[in-house]
Amino acid sequence: MFQKQPMMRKVLWALAPIGLYSIWAYGLRALAVAAVTFAVGVGVEWLFERKKGGKTSEAVLVSCALYALSMPPAVPLWIVALGIAFGVFMAKEVYGGFGRNVFNVAIAGRLFVYISFAGALGGAWLPHGGFGMAAGSLLGPVDAYSGATPLELMRTGGSVPILDLLLGLRDGTIGEAPIVLILAAAVYMAATKTANWKLMVATAAGGLATAGGLLLAGVAKALPLESLLAGSFLFVAVFMSTDPVTAPKKAPAQWAYGLLIGAVAVIIRTFSLFPEGTSFAILIGNSFASLFDRMAADAAARKKARLAGAAGGAA
Amino acid sequence: MSAKPGKIFIDNLWFNNPVLIQVLGICSTLAVTNNVRNTLVMTVGVSLATAFSSWTLSLMKDLIPRKVRMIVQVLVISFYVILIDILLRAYLPDASRQLGPYVGLIITNCIIMGRAEAFAAANKPLISFWDGLTSGIGYMAVLVAIALVRELLGFGSVLGFRVMPEGFVPWTIMITAPSAFFLVAMVMWLARNLQARREAAAKAAKAAKAAPKPAAGPSPAKA
Repeated sequence: MFQKQPMMRKVLWALAPIGLYSIWAYGLRALAVAAVTFAVGVGVEWLFERKKGGKTSEAVLVSCALYALSMPPAVPLWIVALGIAFGVFMAKEVYGGFGRNVFNVAIAGRLFVYISFAGALGGAWLPHGGFGMAAGSLLGPVDAYSGATPLELMRTGGSVPILDLLLGLRDGTIGEAPIVLILAAAVYMAATKTANWKLMVATAAGGLATAGGLLLAGVAKALPLESLLAGSFLFVAVFMSTDPVTAPKKAPAQWAYGLLIGAVAVIIRTFSLFPEGTSFAILIGNSFASLFDRMAADAAARKKARLAGAAGGAA
Repeated sequence: MSAKPGKIFIDNLWFNNPVLIQVLGICSTLAVTNNVRNTLVMTVGVSLATAFSSWTLSLMKDLIPRKVRMIVQVLVISFYVILIDILLRAYLPDASRQLGPYVGLIITNCIIMGRAEAFAAANKPLISFWDGLTSGIGYMAVLVAIALVRELLGFGSVLGFRVMPEGFVPWTIMITAPSAFFLVAMVMWLARNLQARREAAAKAAKAAKAAPKPAAGPSPAKA
């Protein structure tokens, strides 16, 4: 049923520890969100690919995993289903399926529900830990939890212990918290050439530089190190900005793309009404990806022409 | 140009729909469709403006020098749009306020000038009036369909009456312009798919009929 895509399998392996963390942190709730996401996401892709006679790509599994991990834990399940259906349909299948999509599938789905149901998702956090026990019951509570994520604490001027951030001992979306596991996944993917290290480094550098610049310019909320560790910044830098389909292909373009994403994420996070800006940043980066590629190609062609001209002159 | 009223109506509503096929008037599709009532007011305004300006321009067509015809068209269109604006302000001040600048911007709706150029410039006044009116109705049909979805999901109501149950969570994105992009694209996709399927079926029927005879030259171009 699935098209074999070894690269996508490696991404899934890289995501597996984070999935285990999510089960430790939120228990059955995380499993339920994942089950709905995979059923709906794969179902939508299968419906369209069947019509065209194509095979379901394994990339949709990666999209589903990333989408499920980026949902807040107490999200209503129908919202989960709606978002992934929108992402796979509007961001992928209408463009012609795998390899042709302009925008990151998981992010498009996430942003659709994030903008639509800002109220319902903004308060959908749960306390982490104990396989969901910390949240009150194994099935997850239905009552609202009024705790703030580290990102929200930072916005209001509170401080967050860095060590807890590193270990993922904090509330957040289902899979964005375990920084150590995300870094391990980054090393694994970079070492196996599954994901491009330039994109990860450029995105992180863009975020750090922008936050640092803002701090120097007197914006007290912008803390470079904390803003990199809190929220979904690293998760997005490692897994979303490196999406091989929607990222640029040429090295200079990749640097520009990463820097743009990092900078936009921090700017939106610091100045907009939304507490998190990484998703918007990815979509903005996606829309510039092919332009950056084109500019890089043009620059390379100009350089080649100049060299050829110089050689011709010498000869 | 043989112009039968019935065929014009069907063409403007479906086969040559100004929004779905000609892709005109998209700005107003994005701007005014988050509420059915305003959409109705707006599209009735556009229909009347298109109908009357097509009629007037068809009457005047032999008097207008070709070099300045665009300027004359815009003058005639703006005359009718100003009339509509004044009427709305007098009788529907509420809707007029909500629509804001979009009533005045009817002037820039490409459908009006499109019909003036493509139809009224070569046809009799009465049939031009009919063509303008039905073009407006085709535009109205698409916009009202989109507005129905947007108002239903964005506010949980239709024409201001609440229809969704108590626990319904409104989809904020439906109130903002991006949702109109998605919905217009989906409606276009649906309409073109249906038309393509019909065309394929018609072609297959024709081929089956023509099968005994050898194929005779290229098939006549479709209008």
